[in-house]
Amino acid sequence: MASLADSFLADLDELSDNEAHPDDEDLDAAAMEEDVEGDMPDIETLNYDDLDSVSKLQKTQRYNDIMQKVDDALEKGTDISSHGIVLEDDPEYQLIVDCNALSVDIENEIIIIHNFIRDKYRLKFPELESLVHHPIDYARVVKKIGNEVDLTLVDLDGLLPSAIIMVVSVTASTTSGKPLSEESLQKTIDACDRALALDLAKKKVLDFVESRMGYIAPNLSAIAGTAVAAKLMGTAGGLSALAKMPACNVQLLGSKKKTLAGFSTAASQFRVGYLEQTEIFQSTPPSLRTRACRLLAAKSTLAARVDSIRGDPTGKTGRNLREEIRKKIEKWQEPPPAKQPKPLPVPDSEPKKKRGGRRLRKMKERYAVTDMRKLANRMQFGVPEESSLGDGLGEGYGMLGQAGSGKLRVSIGQSNLAAKVAKKFKEKQYGSSGATSGLTSSLAFTPVQGIELSNPQAHGNQLGSGMQSTYFSETGTFSKIKRM
Amino acid sequence: MIVDVNLCQSPALRLAKAVHGTNNNHLYFFVVQMDEVLASVAETIKNFAVIYLVDITEVPDFNTMYELYDPSTVMFFFRNKHIMIDLGTGNNNKINWALKDKQEFVDIVETVYRGARKGRGLVIAPKDYSTKYRY
Repeated sequence: MASLADSFLADLDELSDNEAHPDDEDLDAAAMEEDVEGDMPDIETLNYDDLDSVSKLQKTQRYNDIMQKVDDALEKGTDISSHGIVLEDDPEYQLIVDCNALSVDIENEIIIIHNFIRDKYRLKFPELESLVHHPIDYARVVKKIGNEVDLTLVDLDGLLPSAIIMVVSVTASTTSGKPLSEESLQKTIDACDRALALDLAKKKVLDFVESRMGYIAPNLSAIAGTAVAAKLMGTAGGLSALAKMPACNVQLLGSKKKTLAGFSTAASQFRVGYLEQTEIFQSTPPSLRTRACRLLAAKSTLAARVDSIRGDPTGKTGRNLREEIRKKIEKWQEPPPAKQPKPLPVPDSEPKKKRGGRRLRKMKERYAVTDMRKLANRMQFGVPEESSLGDGLGEGYGMLGQAGSGKLRVSIGQSNLAAKVAKKFKEKQYGSSGATSGLTSSLAFTPVQGIELSNPQAHGNQLGSGMQSTYFSETGTFSKIKRM
Repeated sequence: MIVDVNLCQSPALRLAKAVHGTNNNHLYFFVVQMDEVLASVAETIKNFAVIYLVDITEVPDFNTMYELYDPSTVMFFFRNKHIMIDLGTGNNNKINWALKDKQEFVDIVETVYRGARKGRGLVIAPKDYSTKYRY
């Protein structure tokens, strides 16, 4: 809360004048020290003139302590610690835990410094930040270019891939930036140096962790190798943090954001991070790599979880998992079994699968013989039937319309099919706006059963009289109402 | 031997292919072609048909009865009854030329089987071969 209020104050200060206010800066710096993860909105409102206000890590006691210890430990070389000591009490383990946390902090610090450099260098060469993403590369490039206007005089050979160098040179020739003042240039170069120093420190810390990896996380190292395991742990911020991650996140730890620079994404690699550098991954054929990296991530997460609770200090689980992985990848590469030619089945021996049910019955109703047709098919005995063309020519009408047949008139009759249509119309009717008169009711008084709830005549009305054109429908409303 | 086979009462179609035994094969190229087709089809239709190769120089007893004078003849029997096929050629008793297409042959066999199972003595082939001599 205090830091937020201070950031607002800093905002106001920035607006008024560009000079650094010592009080605000101190408070800000203190806030910076406390949450080194960095509230990003806070940082952006900080005053940028002084590097030290932004990056305090190198001055902290903690940082120096740990670096000192790491140096000592590296000089001592690998010592085989006794397994009798419980892990948490072992000072080396504690150091490693600290190292992990520190490496995360260093990374954050590097990001902060990168922002600082970027903001300063924007005046000179704004496009550079979108061409070179990696903070350390950016710092190196900035240091190399300095205040130079003509990029042909600057040799970026070892720092960047040649394609990017080309793009950078081209963009530099058309850049909208102006050279920096001596003072801000000096500050920028200082910041670059700071960033590079931090990067070196981080490397040192990681090397140390890597050398101890076999002791810390034997299972994970068995699968992924010590280097990758150390990197994973470093990026995750500790073994327990790594163990808590789901495997999909572990897969992506350390994946770089690719600078496109005009190149298409058609050939871009799928998402894999540090696990790309493992031996297993490198030795799988390219077509199986996606599956392999998913498998690797899953198993290494399992191994990390085993390691985080020290479930298997010997590393046997890790080796078993590695075997499993190897076997699975081999199995994927097996050719499919040869196709056996199958002999034909005996004809007519397998009866056709007849379906039943309501749906089929409804479908069959469409083609069923109607009552009209039934009557037309039958004839009375001894009575010649009427026919369409008269005199026995044309189609015969059979019992249709004959006097003496039991039926009064032949109606189409309401088949069960119409129930679906009727239901739809019924729904429409309740939604219609005043199309029905107020005297209609759903009740109907029939002679046979007394009161019927659904009015059978309502159906007749709804289908409309035949004389009506359906364009201006009596009963219908809008056929399709769409919300725009 | 052949009489035994034909008297067998199992519900499998029996195809008997009659062939001249000792002649030069190149003269009867289509004989060999028919043999090829039969051999390749045998596994596919084994669930409902059995193919027998009969050498009529060794077993001449049925030559006059079925008029087996062509180099290659295929006849169909079901439960000891000879089944006739209307192929459009005029001769409903047998196939005495070389059918090149395996699928066509399998279709004919299947049709014969279906009809014979229903008790028909004459079945109608799915394809008409009346113009076979023109092509």
